[in-house]
Amino acid sequence: MNVEVLHWYEEKDQVRIGAVAAKEFWGLVRQPQLLLLLLIGPILIMVAFGLSLDVQSILTPRALVVVEPGSEGAELFEEYRYEFTNRTTFAGTTDDPEAARQQLLRGEVDAVISIPSDPSEAITSGEQAVLEVTYNSINPVFGTAVPRRVYGLVLDLNQSLVQQGIASNIGDVRSAQEQVNYLDRQLQNANATAEALASEEGRSVTADLDDSLSELERTLEVLQDAPNETGGDTQTALERVRQGREQLAEVREAQEGGVEEVEELAGVSELEQTVDDLQNALSDVPDAPPEVLANPFRSEVENLATPPGIVGFYAPGVLALLIQHIAVSMASLSVIRERLQGAYEFFEVSPLGAGELLAGKFLTYFGLVLGANLAVAAVLTVFLGIPIGGGVFVMALAMALVTVASLGLGFLVSALARSQLQAVQVAMLLLIASVLFAGFLFPLGDMQGPAKAIAYFLPASYGIRTLQEVMIRGEGIPLFDVAGLLLIAAVSLVLTRYLLGRKKT
Amino acid sequence: MAAIEVENLVKRFGGEEVLGGLDLTVEEGEIFGLIGPSGSGKSTFMRTLTGYLTPSEGKVEVLGKPPSKFAPEDRRRMGFMPQGFVLYGELSVRQNLNFVAGLYGLKFGKRRRRVRETLEFVELWEHRRKTAANVSGGMQRRLQLAAALVHEPELLFVDEPTANLDPILRRRFWEEFRQLREGGRTLFVTTQYVGEAELCDRVGLLSGGALVALGTPDELRRRAFGGELVQLALSGSPSHLKDSLEALEPLGRVVEVRQDEDAEGAVSRVRLLVEDADAALPKVMEALNGADVRSVDLPKPSFDEVFFRLVERTNGNDKAAG
Repeated sequence: MNVEVLHWYEEKDQVRIGAVAAKEFWGLVRQPQLLLLLLIGPILIMVAFGLSLDVQSILTPRALVVVEPGSEGAELFEEYRYEFTNRTTFAGTTDDPEAARQQLLRGEVDAVISIPSDPSEAITSGEQAVLEVTYNSINPVFGTAVPRRVYGLVLDLNQSLVQQGIASNIGDVRSAQEQVNYLDRQLQNANATAEALASEEGRSVTADLDDSLSELERTLEVLQDAPNETGGDTQTALERVRQGREQLAEVREAQEGGVEEVEELAGVSELEQTVDDLQNALSDVPDAPPEVLANPFRSEVENLATPPGIVGFYAPGVLALLIQHIAVSMASLSVIRERLQGAYEFFEVSPLGAGELLAGKFLTYFGLVLGANLAVAAVLTVFLGIPIGGGVFVMALAMALVTVASLGLGFLVSALARSQLQAVQVAMLLLIASVLFAGFLFPLGDMQGPAKAIAYFLPASYGIRTLQEVMIRGEGIPLFDVAGLLLIAAVSLVLTRYLLGRKKT
Repeated sequence: MAAIEVENLVKRFGGEEVLGGLDLTVEEGEIFGLIGPSGSGKSTFMRTLTGYLTPSEGKVEVLGKPPSKFAPEDRRRMGFMPQGFVLYGELSVRQNLNFVAGLYGLKFGKRRRRVRETLEFVELWEHRRKTAANVSGGMQRRLQLAAALVHEPELLFVDEPTANLDPILRRRFWEEFRQLREGGRTLFVTTQYVGEAELCDRVGLLSGGALVALGTPDELRRRAFGGELVQLALSGSPSHLKDSLEALEPLGRVVEVRQDEDAEGAVSRVRLLVEDADAALPKVMEALNGADVRSVDLPKPSFDEVFFRLVERTNGNDKAAG
């Protein structure tokens, strides 16, 4: 083939390709509704997604705090409210643990944090006080937000406690005990070498002693002012320290006068006695271990649900999405196809009513969609080991409800669509919206704004939650979801019946 | 009794009038043909009669009731064959018909019998197991006809039944229609094949949404040409036949004189328009006594020509009126 011939062929090819491209272009331009759907549909979904999804909110569980009013725990909560609420979305306080549990089970809150009534009791006995946290999540992805947030909460709380002094008070007591012991040793040393006490070195030792007592006095003053004072002998110890400092001041004055004055001074032995009393006074102050001093609180987190693995968690969602998508696609195409091929005119002339037509189609597609998805569910169970906690019958009932609602929606799409392409496009948009808004990827309860409104109209929103309840939690079908699915089915089927039966004018 | 009665029917889509003030009566047991060019409103008219569309104005009664008030029992008395194939290609011929029989409420035993009878009537019984997508276009049309007949309707609406069919198949369809008429059924048939009007008992000519002519085929033909034609072949040139032509004038109007030549020499072909050809023929022969009449013929102009003339006349009247 020479170049000229090749060139001729190429030109012809271009003409043909151009003809096909132009035909397709004008074909699309002639369908403004389809173009609107193609453009506006995805844009609206993305806008709704952007406005509705707040990942921070998903990762910040709603926490209800259980605390006994008037207790030390209540005081602790009020004083450290920021630490308790910073890592969670604070949902309030209650003094009724059972009511809190019920709220948790109903999904009104994500976590219940119980503050012990008397945390000091545990701490003073050398044990960490325990924050009991319960949550109820089957989600292996976002469900970990509660334990992670609680871990952070306890860290914050411990850090603040240490900084604010309550825990360090315990540390101060410990430090004070060490200083007193040191002081005792110093005094014994000073007493044994009275001559040396008047020397330069002796003056240095008593100066150190004075510093130690001064520090101990400050420590005990803090202990005395602390809200949860750790021992009744703090006041006694403080008095002893002050007394000791006065006596030490006399010793230091005598030191300035030389060895004779030191020997005549009864202050050293008095000071020694005072320190002994101080040691006795501080002996009642507990000696908490370092890990308790550094982290006076710890958490015990309990999940009321048993989360499955990733596959087990997503399986009910996939099943619900499959049911919705297959049902919507089949139902929408079945009606539109007949309308476009002219069968509707034939039906209109026959005795067949719009309701009978819809009922006949509904029966077939209901059996087909439900049967196919029951087979899928059987595969999930048998081959992937996905459990059906609530039993096969309840699951089949749940799937039947999702199928009914989805078929209703599909028939409505079909009654409104002008072409098969439009129907397919709407079915795809519904699928995308369901993946984003119906609780498949992100928890339904955390959806906000437009996505929440959209989710109410999607059978998958109710279906995903229902199948998760039945399959994973082993519960029955939530009444709210039954009502939602039946409402979608009823409204869409009645509307479809009206649209199909409407006389042409 | 009238199967269809229409008075001053007007149908508008938006502001556009598609049917303008139609009056029509179709008697029971006749084949009524509605002819007209594409876009003349035939299908709209039929859809209004079947109840698929509602009239904008006027009165329509089919089988004694307005279509808008049809109960399922009334619809069982009607059959409808739409213009295209609207059944299901993925179903077999028999399954399709079984489905339609079910729509009309035929119970199992009767349904089975009627499906067989109807498929035999349209000669599709042997093809009953084939899927509808895999039979020819002609067979699909016959299956569609079977679907209109399976429940034994009294009144059959047939929309363009022979569109895109070959002449042999078209003839067969009309034979079947006549058989149905013989069985006492009323048929309302639309067609754009003007020639098929000849096969109807009565014909309505629809043009621009108006019934421009209504009557039997012969009546329409007479109306189109102002009478019937008698065609004569006389020996000799027209100049030698002056007496003969003058003799014909009282009997009708000489519309054409054409000189021709054949093996026997010069021949003049004369077309005489008379009111009634059969009645006029003996008088013509008498008037031509003495002339060498080689042949006499009573030609029937094609309905295409009838249609053309009627439409032209209507348009001419409209222009004159305008």
